[in-house]
Amino acid sequence: MNHITKKKGIPCGQYVLGGCLLTYTVFCALPVLLVFVAAFTDEGAITRNGYSFFPEKWSFVGMNSVLKYGKQLVTSYGVTIFITVAGTVLGLLMMSLFAFAVSRKGFRIRYLLSIYALIPLIFKGGQLSNYIVYTNQYHLKDSLLALIMPLCVTTMNIIILRTYIQSSIPEELMDSARIDGAGEYRTFFQIVLPLMKPSLAAVGYMMATTYWNDWQNALLFIESDSKKPLQLLLVNIQRTIEFLINARDIPSSVMAQMQGTIPQQSATMATVIVVIGPIMIAYPFFQKYFIKGLTVGSVKG
Amino acid sequence: MTGFLRNSWKHRSHIIMCLPVVLTLWFFHYVPMGGGIVMAFKEFDYSMGIWGSPFNGLENFKFLTASKQVFTTMTFNTIMYYLIFTGIGTLLNVVVAIAIDQFLFKRMAKTMQSIMIIPVFISYAAVQFIVYAFLSSDSGLLNNALGTSVRWYSTASLWPYILTIVRMWKNVGYGSVLYMSVLAGIDSQLYEAAEIDGAGKWQQIWHITIPALLPMVSIMLLLSVGGMMHSDTGLFYQVTRNSGTLYPTTQVIDSYVLNAIFSNSNFGFVAAASLFQSAVGAIMVLISNAAVKKFSPENALF
Repeated sequence: MNHITKKKGIPCGQYVLGGCLLTYTVFCALPVLLVFVAAFTDEGAITRNGYSFFPEKWSFVGMNSVLKYGKQLVTSYGVTIFITVAGTVLGLLMMSLFAFAVSRKGFRIRYLLSIYALIPLIFKGGQLSNYIVYTNQYHLKDSLLALIMPLCVTTMNIIILRTYIQSSIPEELMDSARIDGAGEYRTFFQIVLPLMKPSLAAVGYMMATTYWNDWQNALLFIESDSKKPLQLLLVNIQRTIEFLINARDIPSSVMAQMQGTIPQQSATMATVIVVIGPIMIAYPFFQKYFIKGLTVGSVKG
Repeated sequence: MTGFLRNSWKHRSHIIMCLPVVLTLWFFHYVPMGGGIVMAFKEFDYSMGIWGSPFNGLENFKFLTASKQVFTTMTFNTIMYYLIFTGIGTLLNVVVAIAIDQFLFKRMAKTMQSIMIIPVFISYAAVQFIVYAFLSSDSGLLNNALGTSVRWYSTASLWPYILTIVRMWKNVGYGSVLYMSVLAGIDSQLYEAAEIDGAGKWQQIWHITIPALLPMVSIMLLLSVGGMMHSDTGLFYQVTRNSGTLYPTTQVIDSYVLNAIFSNSNFGFVAAASLFQSAVGAIMVLISNAAVKKFSPENALF
């Protein structure tokens, strides 16, 4: 395309390339943009003309009606933030302790322990068995533990953290700490943990997203309103809409009564913003760690 | 043996450090694992639990052959989507990575890459509403823009395409990050030397960039084989709105199991199907790891 590359000046191929990249970027961004536009579109405009990027009438009603959830929204935010923070911190702490211990040379059981951590990656019990064991045996139905514990420890993350310790933290550093009389716990908390920051940030952000976005366990285990995370709120809105669409034979009097509670389209999109917003805002702060922290670990296992 | 015990005693602090992970894995992964195996051979009764329910031999597996239609459809779909997503996904990951790497305006490239990554962080429960805004038959953007009145949510034949597009939209940006890091590691002298020898851009890409990416591509492909039997459940359960008319092209093993749990039925069949899924999955992981090990030992998982 551009065989003649002059010393200065930009080859025209670059513009073609830029155009293609820009098109793809727009393709990625448009659906997200639509959420924002629809959330501020007048409900009547959506009903008349359908969703559009250029609504005939803007409105704040959708955003306001999100606040109508009021207490439930605050509760759900609290639940989601709690499981995200608790799960991520707990998981990172447990997994880095484990990763630190199994990367200690001369510790003979470490091979056994590594294999032990590996088997769940190879063979999975399956959702049904998980569900029955958690509810029937541990009685975790409607418990936040059912949202936190299953996602807390994953073999992949252990591998990433262990590789990071082995490849980026010099053995001599740990040895000199030991010679200076630091115990294993002190070596871990004061020397190793601070140095693991890049991989902790990358793995932690991925874990946090997993917790934040987890609708499946919430749908399976959570029943009471006080423990509903945000994603379950979204799923419930969808179910209500579905129910109303399918139930055509509902008497009109009942329908009229329900009119006020039917989630409206703009309000639904406003809820989506409220749910996905925080993870988007946090993203730029963690972005720089992605390439550094994640790839170092996952490339070399 | 005494040496081993003495070594373990010496490292007792390390053993204690490992305990939290060991226990969590035991209670939340190993016990369900055992439960999954045992359950496939039992007639499950909720009041007696997995361990107390009576054995019924291979009775559950007879369901698999009895409802052959359902079983083969969902297994076929699972594998078909794995192949489509991995094939197209890998190709797009590589293309996007190379395109961004070749683009000279670095700051702009970085911004574009950041935008491309965003969709991966949106949950399927939210994606579902976005897809609905495009595909809803009366207020959807697509029908309006194209002037058609396609009933997207009841036309099963369209969904392999829709799901592929949604999945690519969500995952390609993030997937390309890995390949970007490989490209960043290529020695720029190689390109300079090629340019002096008169190689054009396309020749440089063909002879330098792509060969540099190939090892990583093969490794990622081989590793992905291990996940063949498991699907992105949210994509098939949420994005399709779990619509029954779409099942012929959208039902995968994972979404079938989820539905069975909610409807509280068919546990025998599901248990047998799950064991099949787990067993084939395990074999696939072992095969893929063995292949990676042969190909590039330092990238094997174990």
